[in-house]
Amino acid sequence: MSLMPACTSPGFLSVLRHYGLAVGACGLTAALVLPFQPALDLPNTVMLFLLAVVLVAVLAGRGAAMLASVLGVALFDFLFVPPRFSLEVSHARHLITFAVMLVVSLVVGQLTAGLRVQATEAARRERLARALYDLARELAGAMTLAQVSDAVERFLVVRGDARGRLVLPADQAPTHPWHGDEELAVPDEVLQQAMATGTPARLPRPDGYCCEVLPLSGTTRNRGVLLVRHRADDTGTAPLLEALAALVVTAVERLHFVEVAQAAQLEAVSERLRSTLLSALSHDVRTPLTALYGLADAMLTGPRPLPEEARISTLAIRDQAFRLNGMVGNLLDMARLRSGRVALRREWQPIEEVVGASLKLLESVLAGRSLQVSGLSTQPLLEIDAVLMERVFCNLLENATKYSPAESPIVLSAHDAGEAIEFRVTSGGEGFPPDRLEQVFGLFERGQPEVSIAGMGLGLAICRTIVEAHGGRIRAFNPEQGGGCVAFTLPKGSPPPFEAEAVAEVPPHA
Amino acid sequence: MPESTVLVIEDEQQIRHVVRLALEREGLPVVEAGNCADGLAEAGRCRPDLVILDLGLPDGDGARFIDAFRAWSSVPVLVLSARSTEHDKIGVLDAGADDYLTKPFAVGELQARVRALLRRGRGRLDEAATVRFGEVEVDFSLREVRRGGEPVKLTPIEFRLLGLLVGQAGKVMTHRQLLRLVWGPDASDNSHYLRIYVGHLRHKLEVDPARPRHFLTETGVGYRFRL
Repeated sequence: MSLMPACTSPGFLSVLRHYGLAVGACGLTAALVLPFQPALDLPNTVMLFLLAVVLVAVLAGRGAAMLASVLGVALFDFLFVPPRFSLEVSHARHLITFAVMLVVSLVVGQLTAGLRVQATEAARRERLARALYDLARELAGAMTLAQVSDAVERFLVVRGDARGRLVLPADQAPTHPWHGDEELAVPDEVLQQAMATGTPARLPRPDGYCCEVLPLSGTTRNRGVLLVRHRADDTGTAPLLEALAALVVTAVERLHFVEVAQAAQLEAVSERLRSTLLSALSHDVRTPLTALYGLADAMLTGPRPLPEEARISTLAIRDQAFRLNGMVGNLLDMARLRSGRVALRREWQPIEEVVGASLKLLESVLAGRSLQVSGLSTQPLLEIDAVLMERVFCNLLENATKYSPAESPIVLSAHDAGEAIEFRVTSGGEGFPPDRLEQVFGLFERGQPEVSIAGMGLGLAICRTIVEAHGGRIRAFNPEQGGGCVAFTLPKGSPPPFEAEAVAEVPPHA
Repeated sequence: MPESTVLVIEDEQQIRHVVRLALEREGLPVVEAGNCADGLAEAGRCRPDLVILDLGLPDGDGARFIDAFRAWSSVPVLVLSARSTEHDKIGVLDAGADDYLTKPFAVGELQARVRALLRRGRGRLDEAATVRFGEVEVDFSLREVRRGGEPVKLTPIEFRLLGLLVGQAGKVMTHRQLLRLVWGPDASDNSHYLRIYVGHLRHKLEVDPARPRHFLTETGVGYRFRL
């Protein structure tokens, strides 16, 4: 019988004791009845032997009851049925007595022993149900995976000589290490296999035990593996272990989702904090800059011209305020782009228009520089966020003016590159340091760290973030003819249809 | 010409000061308010000819002021805003603001915008008049366009777009407004048409279409025609 409590587990000594009990009970009955023999009828003697069989069945089970039945009949024949002290039978009617006595004592013995087994079984089931109930309650209250693991181990110990261990994926390992029971050491491949496929496995052990590998299949994915070591012949445990695995997976999943919910809440809070900080910074820094710029500009454009010295200083104040504003803008842009929350407002538009707007913004920066623009008007529409793309062109052109000699020309060109359009901004000067062509796109990186040109090294990092958000690539290189070049691509995609007007020109006024 | 009063609604005293300085040099009397509620009260009291409105007021987002103000007045509104808030700009322009200026702004730019808005406040450009910009001459009565004396052929849509932009010269027109006026109320899905036609106009009428001087792009918002 499966799941026998420890007291009935087979063992030579235990069997010996049970059969000894059967022999003893029969002997004692015979010894007690013998002195009263003349007074007691044979039927009463039979009854007493039957009583002994019932007692043996209650105390020692089926096997002992059978032994007691046979032994009782033999003793009865030998000691009490004439001719006494012989197994010979003088009369045929005694044969009937023996047969009836044997059958009755066997049947009574078996029934009694069966009742006893059922009672034991019921008590065991009750204990099991109670233990499962306790486990469920404990798991429902568990706050950590370690508590879940402890509860499972405790449950299996209570249940008998089984041992258990909870194995979770590396990213959520139990908080206390497994203090090695060799029996529960399972090769990693087996664990990974069970984790990946969700199929249980059973590993035999040399000492009559086996180790069950039970995957914890959650609603969305496998949450881990439960290892249980128990007796190999203890075949009835499968439903119990299934119930156990189901309880554990519920607990593990509950903890997982609590964690997910907490992480989401934390992220929402920090995101709110971040955007509050950003907008406060944006407002609080820009307001004085706007006033500074405006006041300096008002002085410069006032009705009475300033003395030359004051004019130069005021001009510097105005231009520095404007540059500082640009830097704040770059910092804020980078913070926004880095937060990953910037939704691109992509629309199909001619790139010429975006470049035109950038050139307009850079009017003062580019003043006096030679700029050649080519290949823009023939490009197809591109699906881009114009505001962000304008930043890219502005940053690249501003860099080109900053890092090249004033007399060298700046070239902005566009050409077809298969699936994409490639844009290039080329300028004279020394170009990029050849060993830092990739690093210049890093945050707070500058091509020439020691040069005295103002800047924070944000421009190219912003460009890369924006270009990559559009599905393009950006790189820096030094062309053979000298100078530096930044090239970036934008994917062509499939532009929406455009139907030109049927009428070619304005009809004459009526 | 009667004096025009300008109402400045801005919570930062220093920026109000700059604006006042710029406007008083133009000979315009200035009334100041520090928040939305005061602004509406002042607008009702002093009946300004122009309102300059900051987008980041402590008691409202500017669009609320415009909603309330447009219920009873069609006086032009110039919005002051920070960069990288294009969406807010479109919102207030569609709500009924006439133009915007990005901070920090030059005094001369502010004065030019104010002059343009006050001119329009007194009456629209006569659509029958001849308009000149650069080497281009447009005669709306004859529906003729000449560039350097040579006739330029425009399609009906190009001509209509040109008329709209020139008619609102100096003022920003959002993509949505232009699409609705040229293609009708259901055209908002075809914003690339607008951009292509503006490109056509630039190629036909600008000296350097890549660096336009008259058909200006307000990136992410719309277009502005500058005479």
